Amino acid sequence: MTKEQVKGSAEEEQQAAQSKKALKKQQKEAEKAAKKAEKQAKLAADQQTTEEDDFAQDRYGVYALMQSQEKPDRSLVRVCELTPDRAEQTVWVRARVHTSRAKGKQCFLVLRQQQWNVQALVAVGEKASKQMVKFCANITKESIVDVEAVVQKVEQKIESCSQQDVELHIQKLFVVSQAEPRLPLQLDDAVRPEVEGDEEGRATVNQDTRLDNRVIDLRTTTSQAIFRLQSGVCQLFRDTLTKKGFVEIQTPKIISAASEGGANVFTVSYFKTSAYLAQSPQLYKQMCICADFDKVFCVGPVFRAEDSNTHRHLTEFVGLDIEMAFNYHYHEVIDSITDTMVQIFKGLRDNFQTEIQTVCKQYPSEPFKFLEPTLRLEFTEAVGVLEAVALLRSAGVEMGDEEDLSTPNEKLLGRLVKEKYDTDFYVLDKYPLAVRPFYTMPDPQNPKYSNSYDMFMRGEEILSGAQRVHDAQLLTERALHHSIDLEKIKAYIDSFRYGAPPHAGGGIGLERVTMLYLGLHNVRQTSMFPRDPKRLTP
Amino acid sequence: MALRELSSLEKFVGLKRQKKISTQGERKVPVLQNNNGSSLIGLVTISSHLVSEAKKTELLGESVEQRAVVQQWLEYRLTRLDNCSQDEVNIILTELNEYLVDKVYLAGNSITLADALMYYGIHHIISELAVQQKEKYLNVTRWFDHIQHYPGVRHHLPPVIVLRNRVYQSNQH
Repeated sequence: MTKEQVKGSAEEEQQAAQSKKALKKQQKEAEKAAKKAEKQAKLAADQQTTEEDDFAQDRYGVYALMQSQEKPDRSLVRVCELTPDRAEQTVWVRARVHTSRAKGKQCFLVLRQQQWNVQALVAVGEKASKQMVKFCANITKESIVDVEAVVQKVEQKIESCSQQDVELHIQKLFVVSQAEPRLPLQLDDAVRPEVEGDEEGRATVNQDTRLDNRVIDLRTTTSQAIFRLQSGVCQLFRDTLTKKGFVEIQTPKIISAASEGGANVFTVSYFKTSAYLAQSPQLYKQMCICADFDKVFCVGPVFRAEDSNTHRHLTEFVGLDIEMAFNYHYHEVIDSITDTMVQIFKGLRDNFQTEIQTVCKQYPSEPFKFLEPTLRLEFTEAVGVLEAVALLRSAGVEMGDEEDLSTPNEKLLGRLVKEKYDTDFYVLDKYPLAVRPFYTMPDPQNPKYSNSYDMFMRGEEILSGAQRVHDAQLLTERALHHSIDLEKIKAYIDSFRYGAPPHAGGGIGLERVTMLYLGLHNVRQTSMFPRDPKRLTP
Repeated sequence: MALRELSSLEKFVGLKRQKKISTQGERKVPVLQNNNGSSLIGLVTISSHLVSEAKKTELLGESVEQRAVVQQWLEYRLTRLDNCSQDEVNIILTELNEYLVDKVYLAGNSITLADALMYYGIHHIISELAVQQKEKYLNVTRWFDHIQHYPGVRHHLPPVIVLRNRVYQSNQH
């Protein structure tokens, strides 16, 4: 090599380094262009061949945009109804293309509708041409199609589908709505159990990707099952309480004063002043009791401006709230609420077994256990148990008399209760007064404690409730003790001046109940469009 | 630390007289002054000496193999367990848990010096474990509970509460 050559090569290298990126870009673009051209050529060629001699050309294609042009006399059969009883029948089905696999003269499709799917087959023959099979193979995943097909029994069960005993032999296929070729996440990846994914080294989809593309994620069998079950929770809640003589009420969410103390409320501007988003329908439930509604419940959004990014906190969730007047003792209310919860658990167990099993496939957990009547422990007992277990470092878990349970302690207690009583659901009664809101009724025997209770599922709190103070005088005292501006809660306190029955109640978080019933680990999985400090979309 | 451990050991092997033991250097290595003027240095050396003096040589192992295993665990205690970092704690507990699957004592079928010194050395780790972790390292916990209740071993150390029932599902992770 001469000197110049060396120099030249050095320069080249430098240039190469500088323009590597640019080159790569160019290459990519060139490749893209080439691909595009190829595709177009292919399409043109395809069209030519189809135009040449395609006897099946009116048996497939893409529908024009549906603008309700016509009302064809056609009934679409649901995928879950495709059973051996329909063998040899010709049916129309509308479903999504879950996957497609072309093999020579055949193309297998898996057609999905909600949580059901069925195998379909297009084969070159009397009913379908080569071009039609090709067209079917090229339909993008997640497109919606109308197919006319004959239901055929199969000799071997199709393990990968929910309809295992039949397959569809397609005669006509039209695309109703085309999906873009690139999906932001693969549905099969999204339903893969984590353990399996690690073992096989196959992809799983992480939580944020799921939530960013929630619409696709909600199509997975797991999501479908979770939200069907959640709807069941609401339904059972309403039915049970209605049977008990409760009235459903609707309460405003824009309120003038924070109900649970001034911290963690969202402030909204309200014309010339400011208002808050309700942390619970607490005050309104109580006013309804004072207005002689006796037993009320309410299902609606509640807001918490807590900046906590944990597995179980959302800034907006659905509250299932109960409030009822009782005769002599607030345990009447506890019994009523626990019975409602038990009815919900039973209803889920009896009517939603399919959904529970579907979720279990991806997120294995033990079946939910409960006792009848529900176990009720007193707070002091619980603390005693915990201290006996946790003589950690001889100073670790020594709890003060008026200290609240920490989350790890709650979980440990849940474990101990489960081990001793074999139940995932129990009530913890008589919390210290200091850790409860101002409207909590103090315990008559020991003023340090209160007539308040929490309910737990799998060691995590789902309900907080208490007997409320129904005496205006005592309520004023308690509010002052908590240094709350009396002016702002004047209307609330005044409601108790004209005769108020003793009453108690509680509020449940719908998402948490669903999460803990199914033994899931993140509340975002049971919230359709979760809201937390970091997420405001979708 | 080492001094209190050695005085507990003295009581365990049944020595009446209190030895004069001091420490030297930054690592607080124990030193034993003998009556004849010579001195012994180091935890394991002094412990073995105390055992011999109390005529409890079975604590050092009865067969050749057992003696070797005892020595191995004494070395493990000094080199691995003492001053280990938080990351190493889990490795040690996992190793020990696997080793103890089919054993009551660290060496053979009777208590040895290895059990006593490992117990003294691991006490501060076990007492910090949460219930769930104690259950995760089930065999370590079983061995630890057995040794802490063995007559005469636990003198200067507080007892650690061990649950006798499993409260966590084994398939939970």
